[in-house]
Amino acid sequence: MGSIRDAGRQDWAAHLAAVAMHADRAAFASLFAFFAPRIKAFMRRTGESDAQAEELAQEAMLTVWRKAALFDPATTGAAAWIFTIARNLRIDAQRRARRDGAGATPAATEEFEIDDAPLPDIQLAAAQSSAQVRSALAQLSPEQIRVVEMSFFEEKPHTEIAEALSIPIGTVKSRLRLAMKRLRSLLGEET
Amino acid sequence: MSIAHHPSAPMVAAYAAGRLDFGQHVAVATHLFSCQHCRNQVRAAEQTGGDLLSALPPAPLANDALTRIEARLAEPDKPPPPNPVATSDIPGLPSFLRSYRFDAWRPVAPSLEARAIRLPHPTPTRVFVLKARPGSRLLLHTHKGFELTCVLAGGFSHEGGHFGPGDFDIGDSAVSHEPSIDAGEDCISLVAMQGSLKLRGLLGLLVQPFVRL
Repeated sequence: MGSIRDAGRQDWAAHLAAVAMHADRAAFASLFAFFAPRIKAFMRRTGESDAQAEELAQEAMLTVWRKAALFDPATTGAAAWIFTIARNLRIDAQRRARRDGAGATPAATEEFEIDDAPLPDIQLAAAQSSAQVRSALAQLSPEQIRVVEMSFFEEKPHTEIAEALSIPIGTVKSRLRLAMKRLRSLLGEET
Repeated sequence: MSIAHHPSAPMVAAYAAGRLDFGQHVAVATHLFSCQHCRNQVRAAEQTGGDLLSALPPAPLANDALTRIEARLAEPDKPPPPNPVATSDIPGLPSFLRSYRFDAWRPVAPSLEARAIRLPHPTPTRVFVLKARPGSRLLLHTHKGFELTCVLAGGFSHEGGHFGPGDFDIGDSAVSHEPSIDAGEDCISLVAMQGSLKLRGLLGLLVQPFVRL
């Protein structure tokens, strides 16, 4: 893998703005061409069937179209925003599957909304951080990226990651720790 | 910043990835309600999620996928669900949680009361609000499974340090502690627990049958 070094070169934030402001279908088609197959791949990795992954990718892109006006480039990156949409839809889909589709349950989206708390200094330097995170990830070796991916996307416990990659579990943990530490230091957080 | 104790970095990353069991999600969300530092960590992990998503090898969709979705773009959006009504007056809880059903307070042990929160999704984790009287001392205990605690009001101390509002404590089978509650005000915490606690020592053996957690 390692293609992460080239990822996100496009200015997807501008495409989202065009969708939000002008219902720009050409911009949407570009977003669809790039993100839909990757959202499908994400769904496949988290255990959805091919048909279900395709359906969820469609649903996610429809949500992107409808909610584009809510995207705020000052607080988050375009790919991160689309990731959270896919994440929330996956959680909803898994809950529906467990309940055999019966009954409405609260949507995961609102369970991630915690920003109404009266905190000072709510503004995060996340727009800045997207580029920083990308450059931090670019500094990781392909093996480290693989560990981060498996942990992040594939719900694999550390023991299974260790088995799949034939590395000791201590190595899995230290690679993850290193990745998080690097992210923290790049975001100016003290650890 | 007065919050000194945070969830672990992997736990925050798992929250952002949407991989936490819902009971744990609730505990971390409660901490995030008060903790800007960890909100930033969540944002950072979501950036990572976006970057990892962008780097995935694409899984092609059906040839007519874009055509089919374009036919749906003009469809009206579903009306948003009504805003949940906050029913709880317990401080420090994120709004989605305040709308859940809270059972009545019930005594758990001397100086200790709890009220369960009815979660809308099945989860192996029990979530409840715990209230301990000022100046009281909880019994030395260990955990089978784990216990996540987020302080909402008041505070307590154990050998891991002092925990005040917003602070997050993780107990598991490797930890054995005997918290003492701050003097002056009730200590109210949100607790997410899997498994059960085990009280240690002779006194623990004697009161274990009477402690209902």
